[in-house]
Amino acid sequence: MSTIRVNPQILPDLLSALGNTRQQADTATLQLATGSRINQPSDDPAGAAQLISNRDQTSQADTFLRSISSVNGLLQTADSTLSSVVTALQRAISLGVQGANGTLSGADRTDVANELTGIQQQLIGLANTSYQGEFIFSGTSTAQPFAASSVSPSGVSYAGNGGTNTIQAGQNYSLQVNLPGSQVFTAPGTDVFQSISDLITALQTNTGISGAVGAVSSAFSHITGQRVFYGNALNQLDTQQTFLNSEKVDLATAENTIGGADLAKTASDLTQAQLAVNAELAAMGRISQSSLFDYLK
Amino acid sequence: MSNLLSTLFIGTGALAANQGALEATANNVANVNTPGYSRKVSVFTETPPIVLGNLTFGTGVSLNKLESVRDAVLQLRIQEETGQQGALDALVGGLKQVQTLFTLQNGDIGSQISNLFSSVSQLSTDPSSLPLRQGVLTAASNLASAFRNTASNLAAQRANLDLSVTQAVAQVNTVTQQIAGLNGQITGLENLHHDASAFVDQRDVLINQLSGLIDVSQIRSDSGITLTTSNGTALVAGTQGLSLSTQTDSSGVQHVFAGVNDITSQLNAGQLGGLLTVRDQKIPALLSGLDSLAAGLATAFNAANAAGTDLNGNVGGNFFVPPPSGSGAATNMAVAITDPALIAASSDGSAGSNGNLANFSAIHDQALVSGETPSNYYGNLVFSVGNDVSNGSSELQSSQLVLQQLNDQRGSISGVSLDEEAAHMVEYQRAYEAAARMVTTVDQMLQTVIHMGANG
Repeated sequence: MSTIRVNPQILPDLLSALGNTRQQADTATLQLATGSRINQPSDDPAGAAQLISNRDQTSQADTFLRSISSVNGLLQTADSTLSSVVTALQRAISLGVQGANGTLSGADRTDVANELTGIQQQLIGLANTSYQGEFIFSGTSTAQPFAASSVSPSGVSYAGNGGTNTIQAGQNYSLQVNLPGSQVFTAPGTDVFQSISDLITALQTNTGISGAVGAVSSAFSHITGQRVFYGNALNQLDTQQTFLNSEKVDLATAENTIGGADLAKTASDLTQAQLAVNAELAAMGRISQSSLFDYLK
Repeated sequence: MSNLLSTLFIGTGALAANQGALEATANNVANVNTPGYSRKVSVFTETPPIVLGNLTFGTGVSLNKLESVRDAVLQLRIQEETGQQGALDALVGGLKQVQTLFTLQNGDIGSQISNLFSSVSQLSTDPSSLPLRQGVLTAASNLASAFRNTASNLAAQRANLDLSVTQAVAQVNTVTQQIAGLNGQITGLENLHHDASAFVDQRDVLINQLSGLIDVSQIRSDSGITLTTSNGTALVAGTQGLSLSTQTDSSGVQHVFAGVNDITSQLNAGQLGGLLTVRDQKIPALLSGLDSLAAGLATAFNAANAAGTDLNGNVGGNFFVPPPSGSGAATNMAVAITDPALIAASSDGSAGSNGNLANFSAIHDQALVSGETPSNYYGNLVFSVGNDVSNGSSELQSSQLVLQQLNDQRGSISGVSLDEEAAHMVEYQRAYEAAARMVTTVDQMLQTVIHMGANG
């Protein structure tokens, strides 16, 4: 007599199936709790490696944005300082034009010259403007750049240097963020302090006043030209900021695509796993512990 | 012509045979939950007939033997798969612990690398600022300690695995001794032509257990079973269990010895195989990956610092402690400077210059180790750990399924079915009742014969 025998011990199989299903339920619960599909590298090794690179790029974008916002303050201060310089020079020019008027008495010219001396002081103050404790027109030096000096022909000496700094504001994108004072204020031929000092001397001696006014005018145009640098830099950073913000959105989307749990799917996985657990438990409860023995009288 | 007494003996013989069969059934039922038990079937044979004249008379039944139902080839497959599963189990278990060190989280090496570059970028917006310089040093020392922690945790896990190796070897020795003992009992019984199946079942369970610990191949001979590793190192030879031993090697890990032979590298299956794979291959590979990355970063930062001028106007010195040649760069990673002024940010010697910081930032995108940027190289390490765990886990799962099927198959051949036993019980009981009835009838017939004389 041959019969088909099946394994009479079915509990081990059921227990192992139950273990697997419980594991699925646990995984789904963890994914729902963290909102993340990759909770350990083995969940998706390639995805985990991508996430590392993605997080690095996000951190970089954040850093660039922080750099941009700290440099923004510096650039704006420089820009508004130069705007004040322009106003001061305009006043100096109109004073010079006034002084060139032949009807002015010597005493009147002295008054004008005195006012110009005040403007010179104001300009030195502006050229020594600092942002968060750092002088903005000292090149890469940290020393106070401008000081009154009896040895300098213009009466003002420059203690900074000609160095410039650039910051990285994006992947492969750097931007120069300062102009040295020697280029802005004391460039040969367009030296602001020299032109004011010459105008004062001209007024005091009443010679060559209109020539001196001309020199102040060219210093004025030079400063206006330098201001464009800061305006440009601010503009570029603004554009870069917009770019980085949208890059961050892209990166966040990518992070979610790579590592985010599909909540709807995960929730339904969990429900299914729970149903399966219940079904398996029911099956285990029902596998009759009964055998033919129970029916023998 | 036959006589009544021989008919009586046929009846008593049948009683004995069926009672014996019932006893075997009882034993099967009793062992329904005994691991490794192979059910026994009763083999009845008709006893030799006698020929009287032209008639041949049967002489009844005898219970020839109680046969254990087992499939030796299936048993071998189960042992083989158990070895596979043991190795994968130990491998995945070990790697899962390793994996926790490479899980994406704040403070892992990957995020500390990003933080360091971020702090350098911040410093570039105000290069003479001491707080920002301190920020760079803090980020660098966080990175160094992330490397040190990960490396020392890996080393600690390696030491734990080492302990497990020693324990597994001790278990192997216990089991081989037990198998050798059973070999002796089995051969003894079989030489006397006795049934040794109870011991054979036990030995199968033990060989299975041994397969889960170490790779085993078996050779059957008249003098019992010889067990060796797949490379031929004897574990059990007849009644002799050959003990393995462990010895510490120069690097401080335990090696497995059979006598004077180091068999560590030959062990591929079983728990020992898995443990040794993690201990001697996976963890060392990760440690050396971390070492390369740590050394690459330290060297690159030192070179960048040396290219510039610090806040005091001096040429920059070492930023990180120079990595030792060979291994240990991750374990020993440390920041060399404590004074934030010593970061050489300046390219022109002035305190306010950030020109040299570009050299630091450039390391972020530099092909530093094996042609990879630091962050990508770390990503690759994480990938390899995750991939090992993920592959190991799926292999383990399929191995479990295979083993489950093999065990199902074994159960379908050797397992005790209560229904079947109940049916047999009824059969033997009925046969016993019938035989008893037979004896009663013959008894009555004998009485008739005896009374025949008295009445006559």
